[in-house]
Amino acid sequence: MTKVGLFLCECGPNIAEAVDLDKVTEVIKGDKKVALIERHRLLCSEDGKKFLAESIKKNGFERIVIAACSPKQHENTFMEVMTRAGLNPYLFQMVNIREQCAWMTPDKELATQKAIRLIRAAINRINYHTPLKQKEIECSPDVLIIGAGITGIETALRTAQKNRNIYIVEKNELGGVLNRLQSLYPGMQSARELLQKKIKEIKSHPEIKVFQKSKIKEILGFFGNFIARIETEDKKEVKLNIGSIILTIGGETFVPAELPNFGYKKFENVFTADEFENSVINKENLPQTIAIVHCVGREKFGYCSKICCANSMKLARLIKEKSKNTKVFQFYKELCLPGKEYDQFYKETKEQGVEFIRYKNIEIGDHKIDYISEDEIKQSLSVDMIILSTGLVPGKDTQYFANLLNIPLDDYGFFKEEHIKLAPVSTITEGISIAGGCQGPQDLNDAVIQAGASAGRTLSSLIPGRRLQVEAKTCEIADSICVGCGVCVRVCTYGALTIDESKHISVVNEVLCRGCGNCAAACPSGAARHRHFTNQEIYQEERAMLK
Amino acid sequence: MQTEPTIIGFLCNWCSYAAADLAGNSKLEVPGNLTTIRVMCSSRVDPVFILNAYFQGADGVLVAGCHPGDCHYQTGNYYARRRLALLIKILQTFDIEPKRLRLSWISASEGQRFSEITQEFAKFIKEAGPNPLKKKPFFE
Amino acid sequence: METKNKDILIIGAGLAGIEASLLCARAGRKVYLLEKEPYFGGSAIKSEEVFPLMECATCMLAPKQSDVLENKNIELLTLSELQEVQGEAGNFTARIKKQARYVSLENCIGCGACFEPCPVEIDNNFEEGLSKRKAIYIACAGALPNAPAIDMNYCLRKKGEDCQACKQSCMFDAILYDDKDREITVNVGAIIVATGFKLGDASQYTNYGYKKFKNVLSAFEFERLRASNGPTTGIIQTKDGSPPDSIALIHCVGRKEKGYCSQVCCLYLTKFAHYAFDKIPGVKVYQFYKELSIPGKENEHFYKEIQKKGINSIRAENIEIIEADSGLQINYQNGNNKNGSIAVDMVVLAPPIEPHPETRNIARILNIELDQFGFLKTQPFNPVESNRAGIYIAGCAREPNFMQEAVVQAQDAAGQALNITED
Ligand SMILES: Cc1cc2nc3c(=O)[nH]c(=O)nc-3n(C[C@H](O)[C@H](O)[C@H](O)COP(=O)(O)OP(=O)(O)OC[C@H]3O[C@@H](n4cnc5c(N)ncnc54)[C@H](O)[C@@H]3O)c2cc1C
Ligand SMILES: Cc1cc2nc3c(=O)[nH]c(=O)nc-3n(C[C@H](O)[C@H](O)[C@H](O)COP(=O)(O)OP(=O)(O)OC[C@H]3O[C@@H](n4cnc5c(N)ncnc54)[C@H](O)[C@@H]3O)c2cc1C
Ligand code: SF4
Ligand code: SF4
Ligand code: SF4
Ligand code: SF4
Ligand code: SF4
Ligand code: FES
Repeated sequence: MTKVGLFLCECGPNIAEAVDLDKVTEVIKGDKKVALIERHRLLCSEDGKKFLAESIKKNGFERIVIAACSPKQHENTFMEVMTRAGLNPYLFQMVNIREQCAWMTPDKELATQKAIRLIRAAINRINYHTPLKQKEIECSPDVLIIGAGITGIETALRTAQKNRNIYIVEKNELGGVLNRLQSLYPGMQSARELLQKKIKEIKSHPEIKVFQKSKIKEILGFFGNFIARIETEDKKEVKLNIGSIILTIGGETFVPAELPNFGYKKFENVFTADEFENSVINKENLPQTIAIVHCVGREKFGYCSKICCANSMKLARLIKEKSKNTKVFQFYKELCLPGKEYDQFYKETKEQGVEFIRYKNIEIGDHKIDYISEDEIKQSLSVDMIILSTGLVPGKDTQYFANLLNIPLDDYGFFKEEHIKLAPVSTITEGISIAGGCQGPQDLNDAVIQAGASAGRTLSSLIPGRRLQVEAKTCEIADSICVGCGVCVRVCTYGALTIDESKHISVVNEVLCRGCGNCAAACPSGAARHRHFTNQEIYQEERAMLK
Repeated sequence: MQTEPTIIGFLCNWCSYAAADLAGNSKLEVPGNLTTIRVMCSSRVDPVFILNAYFQGADGVLVAGCHPGDCHYQTGNYYARRRLALLIKILQTFDIEPKRLRLSWISASEGQRFSEITQEFAKFIKEAGPNPLKKKPFFE
Repeated sequence: METKNKDILIIGAGLAGIEASLLCARAGRKVYLLEKEPYFGGSAIKSEEVFPLMECATCMLAPKQSDVLENKNIELLTLSELQEVQGEAGNFTARIKKQARYVSLENCIGCGACFEPCPVEIDNNFEEGLSKRKAIYIACAGALPNAPAIDMNYCLRKKGEDCQACKQSCMFDAILYDDKDREITVNVGAIIVATGFKLGDASQYTNYGYKKFKNVLSAFEFERLRASNGPTTGIIQTKDGSPPDSIALIHCVGRKEKGYCSQVCCLYLTKFAHYAFDKIPGVKVYQFYKELSIPGKENEHFYKEIQKKGINSIRAENIEIIEADSGLQINYQNGNNKNGSIAVDMVVLAPPIEPHPETRNIARILNIELDQFGFLKTQPFNPVESNRAGIYIAGCAREPNFMQEAVVQAQDAAGQALNITED
């Protein structure tokens, strides 16, 4: 019989006064599954840990149950002691008789009964524990970046290091949106100069390999070990082994063709902001009056794109710079100028004589704008040119990559982040990150920070020369029982399970499994096991609690 | 010896188990006849665990997880909700009142709520009397 | 070539500091995480829920905090402040002052037995003065690390009395009256500053009647009222203990004076409206705003929901709050320059997000630049890099921002810190 040691911690008076530990000892003593019951005043103290380690050695315990505080407090502390004492740290169960017993059950008799049941549950389950190993796998530190707009370029520069190859694949020319811009708010620097400098940097970087006008044909594998097939400019196929993938395919500007009240493509001299900055502004003469209309498409796609207000002001300045006497009107709904720089930017724009008009509803006609102001007054203004400041929407290939890599899109069609607040550039698939305009509408600063963030995550998790550590409490599939029904595959959020087509059974990828246990609950045949939380372990707990 | 009804609670590690700890930390009362089993996510709770609990004589079962949308594993609690909804039908065929099974969303800061919900549930179970299966012949 | 020091110093253990330290530690680096308070987690742990998904803040933060506490590579230094830094990227030497906690983190098990006997009672700053604490205290239930500190500014022993109340009640020898401030010197290769923000003092803007009228609250007071682990266990109530029938949320307090938009206020006030609608049946909620700033794909939907729940939105200038028989009265000029007035039971103000008061000092010690508002200045096209190599800025220390921005900036800063310390 395996030798199980039970340790009761008094936690000073905290447990000792609320739970009758003598009674506990007396009741449990009869249980043959326990070899010895030890007791300590303060098990987590240096003295306590020493006591635990020595007792394990002296008594030759093979498995340990500790009744003390919450596992959230000291499970790790004791697992370390066990490891040092030469035991597998998973042959251990901690019983929470402090937070969830002593401290919440004022009646000492009841608390004692409860402690006994909780301890019995652990003793029942401990013999079902299996030693778990922290596994490690070989991995590649190389990175594939898809899309070479400013985000992709910046990501490449930030990830490139000695002993790490970076591949960046772009379907067109390098540079993305920035190719179409004159200058960048709020600093009004030249977009072209920035881009040229950065492109030069990646092209000359020894660790970065650039594939222009190339296509991603296929991606297989998982974090640490992906294989990508690429079709290059000259139609050759290249196969890359990489450890992680960063998607930086950008977004697009909304084209308001289906919104009739904006008169786009219906009246001459109605352009989108994108078109205006890309080409119209280079025309010789700008007309006398130009109106810039904000929030075009916002209602349709259902969010504020963050860049349009400031970008409209930028355009006003560019116009004024070129043609001082042109009168510029801004038709806006709400001014969205978040952050420390933009109130000043707005003020300066206004000082250049740009007029701001708030509208509630708007209808664009031939060289005129009819609008309803906030106090419900109908008004009209004749203008020579109208610029529609349209929002940012997901790019065309977003869906393609969602399918290819099996990652979800959000309600608006952008790549969905793993967690909107805590993991904004991660996806639910470990090893696949998203950054820039494909994650959501954002300005250049945001895009560059997201580039740096996805680089930072890669640098911290995939290190040249180091193996990848894998979570121990994953699930496992018993292939002799599995019937290949695929139920587990469907419930796993992380794509950790797949059906092996040759054997018709489910297989788990331990690199991707996060150990939630959902598959184990879903499996109709009991083939999916959740390590450390197996059916047997839980039945045993129940059994003891209900005896 | 067991005079009081027994209640088993399945608590997800990230929210509800933390809430139970916080209740203890704040010295809030929680019924002594509730013993809890920690699982990583409410989606680990196999409906069979719950059936088994009733078969073994539990008078009530509480399953608690993160609030909808807050699950540490994205959507686990939605699975838990669906499974429990199905289970209730099965429970009825065993004459177990659906109200003996409670699913609650309790976040890590809701120590107070943990205490309230468990007390209220314990009171309900006490009033409802023993698990009807205990009287059935096939029950040991 | 001289080898670079691989260790990393992170100043400020709010969300940004936590994220940066976890990333650096994951890469196998030794991290010193400095926090000047006795607890860590920063501003985010004051919230009950987080916009726009109304997720529980504790559930989001606590697992990250335990990761920090359990990580062997991270040394969390609470009650610690930077004194002096010398050297350059790859080889900085930092002198840190670690204030005495008077409680041993090794011995204390967080039982809380010592609070009750302490005879000193003062306002709890963490709870914005909405509740009291003792001289030996923890900030709130669940604060981490789970051990109190003695606030020597108030402890009777400081006044020469031989009070031993807490020591006598502690069974674990955790109280250390002769604990001393210590100086620690660490060598690191890179530094990340994540000292965060402070909410501006709303009483400077006298027209809102803050501190004059008892039911005019500042944003964090309202957060703590809604907090399950706060002074009212989450019950929103006026100072006389009844639930308010009507609440006014005031945007952009101090924006004009400061010269910038604090970015997060529109959305946290939207969150407050949700709190109110969800917790107080039949409550009337008004918001007084100038411009609405709810940028990003995830937020508009969240805002629309409070419109559906029936918020009354008023575009207003020249707000003045006075006390009337019925409670508080808000006089304003609306968007069309007409005067109006509304009576409510409670007013919640959104004062500016300002740099943490320590920021100036940090900038001096590190010899890095501030911007015109006192935030730490970063570079164009590299928004987390300071003007000195090897020193990076993340989170609200550089600009008011949402939690997700604090996180990505931290990840960016961590990446650059890892990179610059590679040989
Ligand atoms: C009109 C306009 C004006 C703006 N002005 C400013 C400003 O003044 N200041 C500011 O801060 N921000 C501004 N912005 C925002 C800023 O430009 C963007 O945030 C930023 O450029 C986004 O860069 P990105 O690399 O993420 O996307 P993009 O620049 O769109 O780059 C994406 C790249 O991915 C490539 N790609 C797409 N699909 C594939 C595929 N299947 N395979 C390979 N490659 C692919 C594309 O060809 C493209 O090169 C403006 C945006 C617009 C639209
Ligand atoms: C009322 C309110 C509600 C909010 N709600 C939300 C929300 O729902 N969703 C959302 O996305 N955002 C919200 N925010 C914004 C969010 O709080 C911030 O984005 C986030 O907390 C920023 O984290 P940080 O780490 O940069 O700063 P902080 O959280 O301020 O952390 C800074 C840390 O540094 C420490 N520190 C300061 N100076 C020093 C020093 N000299 N030495 C050592 N340590 C120091 C501080 O004590 C603190 O612990 C809200 C803000 C407010 C004001
Ligand atoms: S191990 Fe837990 S229960 Fe035991 S003394 Fe330490 S804190 Fe108390
Ligand atoms: S335990 Fe969870 S993450 Fe792992 S395979 Fe099963 S369902 Fe997927
Ligand atoms: S649910 Fe079970 S039986 Fe079905 S494929 Fe998955 S492991 Fe096999
Ligand atoms: S010594 Fe006395 S006054 Fe000081 S903290 Fe302890 S109990 Fe309070
Ligand atoms: S100092 Fe002592 S009494 Fe106070 S919480 Fe820590 S262990 Fe308990
Ligand atoms: S982790 Fe709490 S319910 Fe899934």
